Amino acid sequence: MPRRKSKKNGTCRSVSESFQEYGRGVAGGLMFSLPLLYTMEVWWAGFNAHPWRLAAYVLATFVLLLGYNRYAGLRHDAGMTEVAIDSVEELGLGFIIAALALFLLGRITTEMPVNEIAGQIVIEAMTVAIGVSVGTAQLGGDKEDEGIEGDGGSKGQSEIHFGGQTLLAFCGATLFAANVAPTEEIVMIAIEISWLRLIGLAFVSLLIGSLILHYSEFTGAREFVRTDNLNTVVVGSIITYAVALFAAALILWFFGRFDGVSLYTSLAQVIVLGVAATLGASAGRLLLQ
Amino acid sequence: MSKLAKNWVEWTVFAVGLVLVVSALSYLVYEGVTMGSDPPSLEVRLGAPEQRTHNFIVPVTVTNHGDETAEGITIEVSMENAGGQEPVRGELTIAFLPRRATREGFVTFDQDPRAAQLKARVLGYEKP
Repeated sequence: MPRRKSKKNGTCRSVSESFQEYGRGVAGGLMFSLPLLYTMEVWWAGFNAHPWRLAAYVLATFVLLLGYNRYAGLRHDAGMTEVAIDSVEELGLGFIIAALALFLLGRITTEMPVNEIAGQIVIEAMTVAIGVSVGTAQLGGDKEDEGIEGDGGSKGQSEIHFGGQTLLAFCGATLFAANVAPTEEIVMIAIEISWLRLIGLAFVSLLIGSLILHYSEFTGAREFVRTDNLNTVVVGSIITYAVALFAAALILWFFGRFDGVSLYTSLAQVIVLGVAATLGASAGRLLLQ
Repeated sequence: MSKLAKNWVEWTVFAVGLVLVVSALSYLVYEGVTMGSDPPSLEVRLGAPEQRTHNFIVPVTVTNHGDETAEGITIEVSMENAGGQEPVRGELTIAFLPRRATREGFVTFDQDPRAAQLKARVLGYEKP
């Protein structure tokens, strides 16, 4: 997980410091994934999805965690090995927490076949793992460490890392959109909605995105978003929306929402979910920094 | 690259995490390779009827031997009467039956089914 440096620089963290960090991780994991742990469509997706799709989901989450731990962790100096180790730890914690929660909720029992148990745990564990990562990085109260990256921070202000910011936008979009993506409501809205309303939704998404990123003085907006002139604002908003739509489409595909529906309904679902994804890609991205 | 400074707790969590991730992925790959694409194939078994205070119940066990989940399964259990009258029907609906899973339920009758001949069949189900 994105760790803070030990108080004694360069040495191991003490055991109690590690436990504190895992505690934050567990709390964050539960906080961010609770809506999905309590959603029946997610349990169903767990045993309906083909094993290949689940494996792809695990790999995609791992890549997402690598990116998040690399760019959003408090230690920007962390090497790739360390980032990879942290990501594996988060996935592991995700599996354990998801299994425990599902067991306590009575979603997995001893009479079930292995594939039903495994499917449900795997699908829930991925959201928990992302929550663990975000929780460890964001829920810490230890502010004194921030001095360490003070130099790097001021450098970061002058040049905004495009790739890193796009990746964080993608993380935020996924985290937000995943909460509503598996529900039946998205399909229902998409089937019933008129094309004029769809255009309205797309327009509102773009507007919300640009307001949050450029005009609402969100925490971190000044630091991480360029608002030089109208041109950068327009380009920035469109990129954010594109990232949001991509994330929305990916999650919908994973939950099998494109199977057996027309292209129009698929597109409508992406735009409907895109509203949530845009909130994640803009506000979420700033909060995840 | 900075030196890896980890204590035993962190190495333990990492080791457990690695084992879980690797085993989950190998399990999924194994499943993906060995799994066929047979549509759901449902087997219905009836248990011994029992008398309850207000009615008679017949335990029903359904197993899906196929490779796909069956959704919204309707099962009909009919009781042939000795007198050649219309058979009495009981029905049971099961929301989801994942591949290789088993679900149990009951069908109820007003008349005593213990002496009669019971027949069970799956009326239909959807793809998820």
